[in-house]
Amino acid sequence: MKNTWVLVRRYFSQEVRNSNVLFSLGLYLVGVAYLIYLLNGGSVPADKVWNTLLWIVVFFGAIQLSSRSFEFESNDYFYYYQTIAGPGATIIAKLLFNSAYIAVISTVTWGLFSVFFGNPVYNNILFGLALLLGSVGCSVVLTLTSGVAQRTQGNATLGAILALPLLLPILQLTSVLNLQAIVGVPTNEALNLLGSLGALDVGIGLLAYLLFPYLWQD
Amino acid sequence: MKGLPYKIAGLLLIIFSLTYGLWTEVPELPIIEQSIRNLFYHVSMWFAMVAMMAASFGNAIGFLSSENMARDRRSISLAETGMFFSVMGLLTGMLWAKFTWGAWWTNDPKLNGTAITMLIYLAYFVLRNSIDDPRKRARISGVYNIFAFVMMIVFIGILPRMTDSLHPGNGGNPGFNSYDLDNRLRLVFYPAVLGWILVGTWIASLRYRLRTLEE
Repeated sequence: MKNTWVLVRRYFSQEVRNSNVLFSLGLYLVGVAYLIYLLNGGSVPADKVWNTLLWIVVFFGAIQLSSRSFEFESNDYFYYYQTIAGPGATIIAKLLFNSAYIAVISTVTWGLFSVFFGNPVYNNILFGLALLLGSVGCSVVLTLTSGVAQRTQGNATLGAILALPLLLPILQLTSVLNLQAIVGVPTNEALNLLGSLGALDVGIGLLAYLLFPYLWQD
Repeated sequence: MKGLPYKIAGLLLIIFSLTYGLWTEVPELPIIEQSIRNLFYHVSMWFAMVAMMAASFGNAIGFLSSENMARDRRSISLAETGMFFSVMGLLTGMLWAKFTWGAWWTNDPKLNGTAITMLIYLAYFVLRNSIDDPRKRARISGVYNIFAFVMMIVFIGILPRMTDSLHPGNGGNPGFNSYDLDNRLRLVFYPAVLGWILVGTWIASLRYRLRTLEE
């Protein structure tokens, strides 16, 4: 557990020190949001389209993030990290860090969309919860698949190919919830769907935890 | 010839379902009409596919726990056979959809599930092709196989039940089981499922032996 926190802090400081990467991600989010605004002629898209565009922006941001997820464990560093931290601590730290990161990306995107297109969401709490659970689910899939891609020796596009079909169930479930939040379904009536999304997150998180040790060896 | 009884049984069951399936009397339902016979050929493909993928998943777990390369060869051979069944299921399903729902493709949870299942396993084949070292390939693709199978079950087994579908048994659409799937249909349908699973096992075992010889 102590190792995990050390690793999380290490990933965090690494990210802050690599400020150009952080800026490029931010620039991507603002740029794409503005691109949609321009192409749409400044008008507000319908609720369903708004939600779809939001998730597409988050999706590519998350893919971009995860493609760098195992950057620092490549080549010889891999053996170094392998000896100082076990696979269990590594995967938990990666999952925590990536979940927080993707949650931030999706919240920022939501903020940007609110600025450019207004916020059509009626039940903000439900929307926020769905965004959070969806981010956790995405981070589990992306962390495992980028781990797989990293073990194939730096094939960056492979990570995206492997992740895309696995992300669709999570994104579909999340966007159903988001649409419910937009039309204003009360939170307690969406508990069933929220619960399934949460259970799915926990289930695949556990699976990733069990499977990761098999990836994390040579 | 090893396993001769099951191979013959599988062939006989398929021949039975192909011939008797066209011959038997079926319930008369509006819109579906005689196309209900596609139940024997379309639905049995999906049963066979899920059986093959599940066996592939089981062998992937077996490999990770035993490091036995034969398990890996079985796993990929079964996944390839499952892919074949999913293509067949998709084609027969598209044909059926055209004649009953009026379109080759509809935005239906089960169709989306199928498309995603195929994408997942295509990604699995791409992954296998991109690793050269056999032992490493077996371990990494085994991890992906296990994860992919679980996601596939979530997507084709759980999500469609939570949304409306044109397929029987979902949303406001009653299942065949409630009153339509009478004993005449069952008499052909169950043998067809069993027969295709047996023949699928045969195909996979041939591919497995071919792989073993190649290595």
